Amino acid sequence: MKIRLENIVKRFRDNTAVDHFSAVIESGELVTLLGPSGCGKSTMLNMLSGILYPTEGKIYFDDDDVTFVSSEKRGIGLVFQNYALYPHMTVLENICFPLEIQKVPKAERIERAKKMAELVHVDTMLNRKPGQLSGGQQQRVAIARALVKQPRLLLLDEPLSNLDARLRIEMREEIRRIQLETGVTTIFVTHDQEEAMSISDHIILMKLGVLQQFDKPQYLYDQPANCFVADFLGNPPINKVEAKVENGKVILADGQDSGVRLEGHDGEKVWLSFRSESVLYKPESELRAKVILTSVMGKEKITSFDLAGKEVRGYFDSSLDFERGEEVGIGFKKTGVFVFNFESGERYL
Amino acid sequence: MASKSRDTETQINKEPISIGRIIMYIVLLLGAVVMIFPFYWMITGAFKTWTEVNLMPPTLFPENPFNIENFVYAFKTAPFAKYFLNSVLALLGCIVTCSFTTILAAFAFSRLRFPGREFIFSLLLSLMMVPYEMIIITNYRTIVTWKLHNTIWALILPFMSSIFYTYILKGFFDSVPDSLYQAAKVDGCSDWKYLWRVMVPMAKSSLATIILLNSIATWNSFLWPMIATNSKDVRTLPFGLYAFMTEGGQRNERMMAAATIVVLPMIIVFLFARKYIISGMSRGGIKG
Repeated sequence: MKIRLENIVKRFRDNTAVDHFSAVIESGELVTLLGPSGCGKSTMLNMLSGILYPTEGKIYFDDDDVTFVSSEKRGIGLVFQNYALYPHMTVLENICFPLEIQKVPKAERIERAKKMAELVHVDTMLNRKPGQLSGGQQQRVAIARALVKQPRLLLLDEPLSNLDARLRIEMREEIRRIQLETGVTTIFVTHDQEEAMSISDHIILMKLGVLQQFDKPQYLYDQPANCFVADFLGNPPINKVEAKVENGKVILADGQDSGVRLEGHDGEKVWLSFRSESVLYKPESELRAKVILTSVMGKEKITSFDLAGKEVRGYFDSSLDFERGEEVGIGFKKTGVFVFNFESGERYL
Repeated sequence: MASKSRDTETQINKEPISIGRIIMYIVLLLGAVVMIFPFYWMITGAFKTWTEVNLMPPTLFPENPFNIENFVYAFKTAPFAKYFLNSVLALLGCIVTCSFTTILAAFAFSRLRFPGREFIFSLLLSLMMVPYEMIIITNYRTIVTWKLHNTIWALILPFMSSIFYTYILKGFFDSVPDSLYQAAKVDGCSDWKYLWRVMVPMAKSSLATIILLNSIATWNSFLWPMIATNSKDVRTLPFGLYAFMTEGGQRNERMMAAATIVVLPMIIVFLFARKYIISGMSRGGIKG
């Protein structure tokens, strides 16, 4: 099902949680709503599920205007961070419950629930209570319960936050597998960029209720729309140093020429941001940085430098040997280097 | 915590005579005896003959433990069977209606949104401060006006709802995460169905506590039945017992038998359900 969001605004008293949000989500895709806490992503999800109604704007499911349609009539499946399983019911009863409400005959109910349990791999524990399951298993049951009524849209609200690191990776792959097998349009809310990068078809990155960028994960990383997007994505985080544009050259705070060229913004204060993998070792370069620390990580090593008073990191071949305190020449690759307006974060390069 | 208690255990094994522990057990034992002895005295006394009860020094055990003469007498002279039936009727009436209203009210105050919810609830809570004896007067006037005086309804009507039990149950309902409600709502579940299919089964132990406390209170209630009823046909056990004592003369063994009839059902209920009472009480964080 295709989802169209048109100029959604949600205000709570004086506080604007979502501000003029527009997006089109294509049918069958897994789209992640990503952003730091308080960015309005859960509010957005609640408006999609019908728990909240927008102050302004329209929500369309295919061609139906569902802006003020109540939750139960939207045909959505919802999975919560705390699973929200009914503790007094068995796994089977939990999965059957949405069908019971729809008054599906009992035999069919159980058959469909069992099929769904197979899909999420909980078919061996149908008679257990949620309390007897691990977190990952509970989450699988919650997904089965959300999918059993064949929703048009599956909403997942930070479904992995309560799991430990290993289970989280396993479960996100599982969610992706289940989503691809069922082909259900899915919206996934998270604050974890790695999670978002690894499973999404598209990512919507939000900040303070405003959509920052809506793109494929790799584009988001390679071509951030603004400084916030660049800062938010990537591990280790992007390097960021203050700079000034003079005669088309990006000059660092300590007067060194970064070697980056930018036309048309002379005299402006900017951020020079670059990915760690975009740093090059250039012994002959005029741009010098002082080595602070080197840590070897197998075939690569990550080295932190003092560059114009800021700590920055770069990946290098582990055959290179740097002394602590040594001044080395560095340069940048063509990709993964950005210049942003210092105040607004608008991207110049 | 667990390792600490294990440490003390091993310590006890090393030196079996710990004076502090012995003193503690003696004190606890004394407390238990003080608590239990009146009940023991009552029950054994019910099986004794008149001479046996008045023996000096008193005996701890009846000569003929199968002597049910006193019970027979109690049932013969006073309509204890009728009293018993009345008590059971009043009890069932109170529990069924009160549990029902309590569940609905607790759900409304906990989950539904309506204007003035918090204000109304605090108003109700403040009513708990009005002394019972004062409410009795107004209740009596109501009952008389409605011409229900001296009927079983008079014993049920004033207790068909309870702020205190609503408060306990609301506490439990509040602790159920919102997401359960939202999950059910998204699936198209009505409030009514959600309440009975999800909330009530989850609140089983809180409800058991409420029903038990309510049973004990109703079973033992004395003042209200005494005021609201005056014929033997609608008397309940506690007031029946009181009447029996004043009408039956100073025959201790017979009074013991009558008292045993009154108390025994609740003792049995308590023995079976005490774990619910205690867990429910500690959960609510409220003293009875």
